[in-house]
Amino acid sequence: MNKIDSAISEFRQMDELASGNSPVHRLEAGIKLAVTVFYIICVVSVDKYRLSMLTMMIFYPLLMFQAAGLSMSGFFYKLRYVLPLVCMVGVFNPLLDTSPMMSFGNVSVSGGMISMLTLMGKGIFCLMASYVLVATTRFDSICAALGRAHVPRVMVTLMLLTYRYVSVMMQEVSVMSEAYALRAPGQKGIHISAWGSFLGQMLLRSMDRAQELYSSMLLRGFDGAFRYASGERAKTRDFVFLTLCLLSFAVMRFVDIPELIGSFFV
Amino acid sequence: MHMADALLSPQVAAVMYAASGTAAGISLSKLRKEDAENRSIPVMAVAAALVFAGQMINYTIPGTGSSGHMCGGMLLTALLGPYAGFLSMIVILTIQCLFFGDGGLLALGANVWNMAFYGCFIGYFFIYRPIMHSSLFSGRPEKSAVRSRLILASILGCIITLQLGAFSVVVETSLSGITELPFGAFAALMQPIHLAIGLVEGLITSAVLVFVYQSRPSLLRDVESSDASAQKSVKSVVAILAVFVFLVGGVLSLFASENPDGLEWALFGNSDAGYSENMGLDEEDFGIASNASETAGQIQENTSFLPDYSFKDSDSPAGTSVSGIVGSAMVALAAVGIAALGGYFRKKAFKG
Amino acid sequence: MIEFKNVSFSYEIDVPVLRDISFTIEKGESVGLIGANGAGKSSLLKVLLGLLPHDGEISVDGILLETKNLPELRRRMGFVLQNSDNQMFMPTVFDDMMFGPLNYGMSREEAERKVDSVLERLELQSLRDKYNHKISGGEKKMASIATVLAMDPEVIIMDEPSASLDPYNRRAVINLIRSLEQTKIIASHDLDMILDTADRVILLSGGRIAADGRCRDILTDRFLLEHNRMELPLRFSESY
Repeated sequence: MNKIDSAISEFRQMDELASGNSPVHRLEAGIKLAVTVFYIICVVSVDKYRLSMLTMMIFYPLLMFQAAGLSMSGFFYKLRYVLPLVCMVGVFNPLLDTSPMMSFGNVSVSGGMISMLTLMGKGIFCLMASYVLVATTRFDSICAALGRAHVPRVMVTLMLLTYRYVSVMMQEVSVMSEAYALRAPGQKGIHISAWGSFLGQMLLRSMDRAQELYSSMLLRGFDGAFRYASGERAKTRDFVFLTLCLLSFAVMRFVDIPELIGSFFV
Repeated sequence: MHMADALLSPQVAAVMYAASGTAAGISLSKLRKEDAENRSIPVMAVAAALVFAGQMINYTIPGTGSSGHMCGGMLLTALLGPYAGFLSMIVILTIQCLFFGDGGLLALGANVWNMAFYGCFIGYFFIYRPIMHSSLFSGRPEKSAVRSRLILASILGCIITLQLGAFSVVVETSLSGITELPFGAFAALMQPIHLAIGLVEGLITSAVLVFVYQSRPSLLRDVESSDASAQKSVKSVVAILAVFVFLVGGVLSLFASENPDGLEWALFGNSDAGYSENMGLDEEDFGIASNASETAGQIQENTSFLPDYSFKDSDSPAGTSVSGIVGSAMVALAAVGIAALGGYFRKKAFKG
Repeated sequence: MIEFKNVSFSYEIDVPVLRDISFTIEKGESVGLIGANGAGKSSLLKVLLGLLPHDGEISVDGILLETKNLPELRRRMGFVLQNSDNQMFMPTVFDDMMFGPLNYGMSREEAERKVDSVLERLELQSLRDKYNHKISGGEKKMASIATVLAMDPEVIIMDEPSASLDPYNRRAVINLIRSLEQTKIIASHDLDMILDTADRVILLSGGRIAADGRCRDILTDRFLLEHNRMELPLRFSESY
């Protein structure tokens, strides 16, 4: 089935990207996570009619894309399903909010129009920022950073193990789907008669696998406590990056820079 | 049902993080008590990974030509129990958010609440467990009775928890003040669609659970009825359901009556458009696939009968001015410049 | 030294899987454990590792196999599972190799040194930071042996180490096994591989020891092998 195979390849592509080497890749994972979250908060909290303020926010993801060597087309391709939906959120606004906000000659722009654009911008910027994070940070580094931030170890371990088995399981689903499709030509998915047995079979096998996995952990000294290497710690460079980002986001969020620039000319 | 970051205000997102975080904290401490040696970690990880992969399977719905999917909260709960199930769902949603852009980092708390909390906690304590321990279908032979209870619990569980989830999406979005869509209209759009999604998910879940029950019942929670004293009567199930129906019906009708225009609008708009997933709250691969391509055109058609409503606050904060536009244009120009330069240098570096 | 004295095991009463098994394996010996499907090979390994209960007496270096000694015993024994995906449960090869040493009380630095020295010895440095889901089957097998070696076990136990490997990787694994100085127990159907890696063979059949002796003696005994649903190694068969 195409969908699962494309998910597998996307998963691998992200790993590939994240394992790259660039100044952005080399930043510590926890710092990057914090910056991303702060950026998203700043973007999301922009007022819905403040389109001009929002435009300034593009610089963070844009510069990061450049510094990390990520391609814009890769981003839009990967999020081709999600992006339109994010943009859809606002399509009702122009219909419901028709009070004119400004006019160019005899063309007036409604508040709904502005708020729709703002909303779309917010959606895209947030996705871009998250993409920068995931495409430049290995998942194990993110987990290690979470561990250092005192997220309970059970959770971190669960993430690590799940991440490890997601691709194993997707592979199995893909193989089983192919085997099914080969014997059921013309069907678009799994027929109702096989709903239970298809996933059920895999579930039973997975439980055996979990048993074996647990044995493997026990045989390597697992006693219920999780000890693992905790990855790189943040360096001065990382803190400089953090401070710069926090400051500039705060400025962009509270000062409408584009309007300021514009006021010099108008 | 994954919500994007842009749909939530930071305040609402923070509240949802706190709520989900509390539930996660309770789950962790319960798990620590039940399972001090962390024996269940591998099982949780493998089950979560399987559900993750299982979400990508297309289940064809007979007679419709479309296909359904599952989200897995009820399934994990029946296998792992509410606490471990909830934690596994958190991991699934986190990985989806990071790797597939489903939902966002800021919205993760809300998504965990909408999709994991209801499925795992409400689904288990108020639906799955009471039904499995009830005397429903007790006239039938043992095995068949348990099977019937499993089917009932899965279908009811999925429908109810998805309704709650969808309703929460509406509440959270409205509280965030993001969309101009009136609350009632939004709810009237979301709830019926998730009724259908919930039904399909319930059928898939029940099929899987019945299969597991027949091949290895020890994997499921609450199916061994050895403990006869634990059996509750049918009454408790009926009572819980009645309370639920009353609550949902009451809340919905309250909003509907407060906002008749919105409801009318939604029904009118809904009748000829495949709105289902187009709210941006649902990716097209969750639930029943709708024909997204038609929608754009239909939305435009619908504009004609929309009255000139104005929902905008009259005293909204300063809007965008002309100077703002000029400035924004320059910013945009600079951004395009950076992107172009970056591309140029990258190509150069690649050649060199 | 591993000693089995009248060891039996059954999943269900009256259906014995292992019956009255007794043998001794000296330090440094390399023993091939062969037998048809269902002969009890895997059960024997699991019993030895304390993953399954047993009747009778098992001891490793004089330490009796019982619940309270399990951590001590497991520390001496490294087990390479047949399915590397089940063995390598952490995202990267490095994390996986660190898991055992850290659990056995090594400091982070010590463990990291140990991991690096094992990788260097096996010439697998390039795999260090690779994701386990992205390396090939052959690499995964080598890496899973490396995770076990990082714990410095005295005994290495392997379940079908050559299964589903291509000829090149199979040969690489055989060479690796040959280079290990530890006591080895290798369970397999791949008699050619056993011939290359073991000096002694224990043949299981129906949960009993059907033969126990020098590798060359048993693996050339066509009658014995065929009687126990096995075949001569390819290199001894006439058609070869």
